[in-house]
Amino acid sequence: MSEQLLAWLSLYGVPVLFGILVVTSAGVPFPDTLMLLAVGSFVAQGEMNLWQVLIMGSAGAIVGDQIGYCLGLGAGRRLVRRITNRVGGTDTMKRAEAFARRWGGAGIFFSRWLVGPLGPWINVSSGITAYPWPRFLLWDALGEVLWIVLYVMLGRIFNDRVEALADLLGNLTWVLVGVTSATVLGWKVFRYFRTGQAVSIDPGHGLAQPN
Amino acid sequence: MRSTIIRTARTFRWPPWLGLAVFLLLAGFTAFKAVDAARGVISWHVHRDEPIRGWMTVGYVAHSYRVPPHVLYLALDLPHAPPNKRPLRDIAKLQHRSMDQIRAILQNAVVHARPPYPPPSPLSEGRAP
Repeated sequence: MSEQLLAWLSLYGVPVLFGILVVTSAGVPFPDTLMLLAVGSFVAQGEMNLWQVLIMGSAGAIVGDQIGYCLGLGAGRRLVRRITNRVGGTDTMKRAEAFARRWGGAGIFFSRWLVGPLGPWINVSSGITAYPWPRFLLWDALGEVLWIVLYVMLGRIFNDRVEALADLLGNLTWVLVGVTSATVLGWKVFRYFRTGQAVSIDPGHGLAQPN
Repeated sequence: MRSTIIRTARTFRWPPWLGLAVFLLLAGFTAFKAVDAARGVISWHVHRDEPIRGWMTVGYVAHSYRVPPHVLYLALDLPHAPPNKRPLRDIAKLQHRSMDQIRAILQNAVVHARPPYPPPSPLSEGRAP
């Protein structure tokens, strides 16, 4: 499937780039790193126009992110409310919303270009926690434009080895995600064994009360 | 049954051993990816030819393999001007060939276009290298 889409990309160019980025940014898995690097290579070979790629690529990614945000705000929020009504956790949800308002901007910005695999999840969770839409759009647009420019230019520079570069960037991204998650979790586990406090993933509250 | 599930969900606390297990899994996964990334960085200066894929165009393969595009167009019996933007899988379909055959033709042409073989001239169209 992904090879078919990449084939359409080389045949039809920018409109397909826009469509693929809408769909992948909304959460459908696709090797978008390889695609953007390949687009950079097509630009270097004169088969695609740089400005068209940057404008349409950024627009596609931003539109796709709004779909994820709207899904979270509509269906996601309804589902969470139904669950919290049954099993409790309304306070936790309020704390999560406060936490998102405080730190959401950085999360949205960095998940666009630095830790891309988290992007679709952040879109949905921003909607669920009712992160203000104008601020979401601002951070989202900044991050997506940076992502598209960075990856297309990398593909343009290293245009004869895009697959090796995609592998390298993919591995580096996962290392970053892994180090960040392992540091946070490791710190909580360490604190538990040191102080006897329960491990909690409750956002905005840090650790749960001691058992 | 339903009330038991709701009660369990309300009173659930992450057991510390689960946190430790997830941490160890994460650390292992991160180390694995870090080794892969380091290997990629170390071997970066060695240019390796990219595998030929169905989504690539003839021009893309020529560029990646650093051979003149007309060599590959000749090998596939295609006119070399204007540049053909069709992906290789479409060319394979049009020529009733498999992708493996297209790949073999291109790789053979690449071998013969690189030293010690001189590349054929663009004027010798219609003759495979």
